Amino acid sequence: MSDMTPFLPNASPEVLRVTIVQGEAKASTDPRVEMSTILGSCVATCLFDPVSRVGGMNHFLLAEPPAHVRNQAFDSDYGLFLMELLINEMLGMGAIKSRLRARLYGGANLNPDLSPIGTANAAFARQFLTRENIPCVFEDLEGTQARRIQFRPASGQVRARLVPSDVAPTEKPLGRPQSALGTVELF
Amino acid sequence: MHTQSTPIRVLTVDDSASMRALLLGALTSRGFAVEQCEDGQEALEWLASNEVDVIITDINMPRLDGFGLIEKLRTSALHAERPILVLTTESSDEKKQRARNAGATGWIVKPFDADKLTAALRRVIH
Repeated sequence: MSDMTPFLPNASPEVLRVTIVQGEAKASTDPRVEMSTILGSCVATCLFDPVSRVGGMNHFLLAEPPAHVRNQAFDSDYGLFLMELLINEMLGMGAIKSRLRARLYGGANLNPDLSPIGTANAAFARQFLTRENIPCVFEDLEGTQARRIQFRPASGQVRARLVPSDVAPTEKPLGRPQSALGTVELF
Repeated sequence: MHTQSTPIRVLTVDDSASMRALLLGALTSRGFAVEQCEDGQEALEWLASNEVDVIITDINMPRLDGFGLIEKLRTSALHAERPILVLTTESSDEKKQRARNAGATGWIVKPFDADKLTAALRRVIH
């Protein structure tokens, strides 16, 4: 696609590699930082504000509803939380929400015998961006293969490569937020 | 006083359409009457001519953020005593203290638990 940002040879001799694992969201303005992650059915969102040059990445997997709940969609609360966490961290570094541009990766359906959780993750991510009016300038979603993503947050450069599925870490949906979160403190 | 027949009126203030949709579903399904605004400024304008029982607000919003909204409401005759719960992904003590100093009634860290949230709503209006 024409909007793919070229992944240039790193100008800085010193590279600070940051791995984003499932359930994390991190942002940075440091040109030395290179974030990376490996995705199976998980989805990673790379957000970039080209004016403030703030970038960030999250990595999430939606949980399937319990087996006895048949007509319910995938549990999107956790994905929503990680999206908001990423955006807020970027706003704190000077990004403006209306300037954000997104790239989406992952959401593969690695095992044809299981429910298409990759597709559900991809659909959630697309719907979130549409609702929040954040343009998705590039997506490499679904399919049947795992991906390795490298992202330079200060320049918005991304490189995505297909990797053998056995390279992808074991992905298990994180349970509903633990009791520490959602705690109500009355003053 | 609130009886079974008069639902509790909640105003949610959040710039994220996804979060508004989540709150709307969680609260209406539990019997609350929900109004929604997209930022502090819209909430302030809506509250100038409308009443609610309790307000839930985000912190990071354009135009007028949650701190600003709370400060302005606390100086208004109509809403000086209105319960205001902050619902945020911010986890820093400094931000929490700022909300408290501005006059917030409570502090809830996302992702929220709908049952804990509704229990808090019922508690602060009494």
